[in-house]
Amino acid sequence: MAGTVLENLSGRKLAVLVGFILVGQVACFLIGGLIAPQPSTTEQILATKCIDTSNGTEEWFYVRGPKPCRKLDFYESPNEDQDIANDIVFAFQLPPIREKVMLDFSRWQQNLVGILHVDMTYHSEYKMAPRVVMSVNAKLGYQNKHDPPDKWTYYASSVEKRNLECSIEQKIDGYLYNCSIIPLFELGSLHHDFYLLNIRLPVNHGQNSDLGHVADMWLFAINQTGGFTKVWLSLKCIFFPSIIGILSWFWRRISALQRKPQVLEIMLLITALSLTLLNAPIELLTLKFDLPFMLLLTDIRQGLFYAALLSFWLVFSAEHLMEIQKKSLKEYWPYFSTVGIGCVSLFMFELCERGIQLRNPFYSIWVTDAGTKMAMALLVIGGVCGLSYLILLFYLIWKVFCNISSKRASLPAMSQARKLHYSGIIYRFNFLMIATLVCACLTVVAFCLGQVSEAQFKFEEHQDLEYTSAFLTGVYGMWNIYIFALLALYAPSHKRWPSQADLNLPTNEIEFSCLEPEPSEISSLTTFAKKTALE
Amino acid sequence: MWSSLILLPILVTALDTAIAHSQNRPRPGRGRGSNWWGIAKAGEPNNLLPLVPGAISYMGDPVTQSTLRRKQRRLVRENPGVLVAVSKGANMAIQECQFQFKNRRWNCSTRNFFRGKNLFGKIVDRGCRETAFIYAITSAAVTHAVARACAEGSIESCTCDYSHVSRGSPKGAGAPGGVHGVRDWEWGGCSDNIGFGFKFSREFVDTGERGRSLREKMNLHNNEAGRVHVAAEMRQECKCHGMSGSCTVKTCWMRLPPFRIVGDNLKDRFDGASRVIFPNSGSLRSGGKKSRYNFQLKPYNPEHKPPGPKDLVYLETSPGFCERNPRLGIQGTQGRQCNDTSIGVDGCDLMCCGRGHKTQEVVVVERCACTFHWCCEVKCKLCRTKKTIHTCL
Repeated sequence: MAGTVLENLSGRKLAVLVGFILVGQVACFLIGGLIAPQPSTTEQILATKCIDTSNGTEEWFYVRGPKPCRKLDFYESPNEDQDIANDIVFAFQLPPIREKVMLDFSRWQQNLVGILHVDMTYHSEYKMAPRVVMSVNAKLGYQNKHDPPDKWTYYASSVEKRNLECSIEQKIDGYLYNCSIIPLFELGSLHHDFYLLNIRLPVNHGQNSDLGHVADMWLFAINQTGGFTKVWLSLKCIFFPSIIGILSWFWRRISALQRKPQVLEIMLLITALSLTLLNAPIELLTLKFDLPFMLLLTDIRQGLFYAALLSFWLVFSAEHLMEIQKKSLKEYWPYFSTVGIGCVSLFMFELCERGIQLRNPFYSIWVTDAGTKMAMALLVIGGVCGLSYLILLFYLIWKVFCNISSKRASLPAMSQARKLHYSGIIYRFNFLMIATLVCACLTVVAFCLGQVSEAQFKFEEHQDLEYTSAFLTGVYGMWNIYIFALLALYAPSHKRWPSQADLNLPTNEIEFSCLEPEPSEISSLTTFAKKTALE
Repeated sequence: MWSSLILLPILVTALDTAIAHSQNRPRPGRGRGSNWWGIAKAGEPNNLLPLVPGAISYMGDPVTQSTLRRKQRRLVRENPGVLVAVSKGANMAIQECQFQFKNRRWNCSTRNFFRGKNLFGKIVDRGCRETAFIYAITSAAVTHAVARACAEGSIESCTCDYSHVSRGSPKGAGAPGGVHGVRDWEWGGCSDNIGFGFKFSREFVDTGERGRSLREKMNLHNNEAGRVHVAAEMRQECKCHGMSGSCTVKTCWMRLPPFRIVGDNLKDRFDGASRVIFPNSGSLRSGGKKSRYNFQLKPYNPEHKPPGPKDLVYLETSPGFCERNPRLGIQGTQGRQCNDTSIGVDGCDLMCCGRGHKTQEVVVVERCACTFHWCCEVKCKLCRTKKTIHTCL
């Protein structure tokens, strides 16, 4: 028979292949675990409280530099002058200074997320509501290495409202509230060397009038680690050509056939193309150019791959139902609609959050009520689609397994050699199903482990294996290897080119010829299904 | 775990203390490393601004000169900006101690600082609970203040990575350390500042406590307990920032605790402090460099558990704090305010040690009904209130 490579592979060859796949998988995991550092790192920066004497808003306030701002160490004694609150500027200069060296951001560090934390002191005379709206007037500037040290260039500014939730257990003066963190900004590209963030909490027109006593302000700056980017991009540089290579081999095999490509093959091609898109190491461009949309683009590429992979699974299961063959991809549209609608709603959400952040890095969809409702609606649609997708997929898989077992029941009626042959095929299909299941499970486990990373995160303990990175590279490598294996195993086999004459043979003749390589281009399980239907 | 990380600085410490030993003869009985508390009075922090070229002049400050040991002066010299942090820390410790003990017979009073005398008075000559608390809270405060100053950027020499001991000296002086730091920073980011605070506190605060005598062991244990309390109260916070803000990528960090929490916890440990005795022969003398923090004190009552790393330990019972005792530097509770409704230590019965109290009615003018802005009080009324004050006789 022709069928696919998988069906013609001997058990030994398959074992060798599986061995290589496992080695590759373990290698991906270990590269992440042993070479790469943690995927992202946090810098904690305590605000320097500067006093604005000039009343001018265009000025920059910084600590390190030729003209540092006038520091305010303790808030001055009770003051009738209302303007003092308006004159205090919280200045954050990042990255911090370490080992007497002014650190600078490297473009390998990719992106920057800023989170504010406010130390709020309890005062018995003035009690704060558990939930207040804080107005933050934030201004972000940057400086490059060869700029003059007092030249800060404007990057973005915004007046943002953020919800602040604070609770306190022991209501005694001087104790601190336990306040929630405030996500402040997200930069999709880390193009410049130094950044400066100036924050004011204005008190005009009832703004910030409910706020308690702000003793300190912290900024937690999260950026991707340069080491992780390097390892990640190296992996991409390996996977990108290998997937392209196997993809072109696969396509040559298909186009060498006389028949039109099958639905499954087209679907596999689409999935592999979307993976190629994801693999393309275009992040390398950020080392040279300022591309703030890279974060958004990466998300979109990732989304496309997941959409293609999910659709592929649907088609894969539906094609093995061993019922009426669906001939064209278009007939699958009700199946794809779950994936499609879900992806579109998540894409809309992505555009609303990270798309707008391209214009205003301080923007967050979650702060306004309308935005929250819309975001929730989009996410709920996405969730419902995901759920209905899962139900559909599991229904299909269940049906496939039912069919296979009912067909298997008719196996004893066949001759010994044919029985072995067919149970082998069924075994290999099950094998691939299990492989898919294992891959999906590993992804879920990786995701869950990321969620409970608290247990792994311990002060004073240094681990030799970086689990988070290991799982990220492991999962990324796994999907690449998975697609690679699918392309290799599902390519049409050319052990014997089928002739047009063979295809035209009536089915009961095929039945007798099937001890020899079966002269059919369609996968032999479906042939088998047809046969058993005839029997 | 720490012990494996700190080998190098301890080597340095041990060497240094051996040199410093001959110069600074301490009072018998007391540990050696307690004079630095005087730094709290070394002028206002505003006068010690870091990064100002003239800031080096604090070295000539007589207070600094007389309070710091040679090694401590070296540390201060090598870490610009650290003196301000230590001074802030010492003040923070005093405030916290006085807050925690405001309702007790011993209220953590400090004396006017004189050259060569101890800030907390002669009470530290005795190895009692109160001394244990003072050592722990000051050591904790230095850890906290230095870590905080690193975050603020006012100490320039905070190191980037503390997990690799082999890389350079912890002082971070010189270019090689800096190059390592930059490389570490680009590759994997820098570690939390608490690591630097912890190690700096060990080097600075524990100078001179070589752990030879039992009293020095007690000081070492309590200093370490203070630091452990800061580290143990670090709080974890996380942020998801993966695809579409989902939790596929999640970053966590440890936040420095409010110092008040550390004070509260140490006060709890003060109440349950364990009295220890000289362990059996050998274990004290075996003090190699590695085992400086690696000793186990024996409880006074053999049925009690041996003290853990977070417990405070003391050697002798506290003196009575009722009567004024200049020999021990005790002020006595005469003239202290008490609460006549309380049955606790702040109640008049216990506070005044049975001497009785007098009751006065006074009119106090206080600020009240203030409206706040987030930084500062803006408008207050002045209210006159009548208050009843009880004072110990």
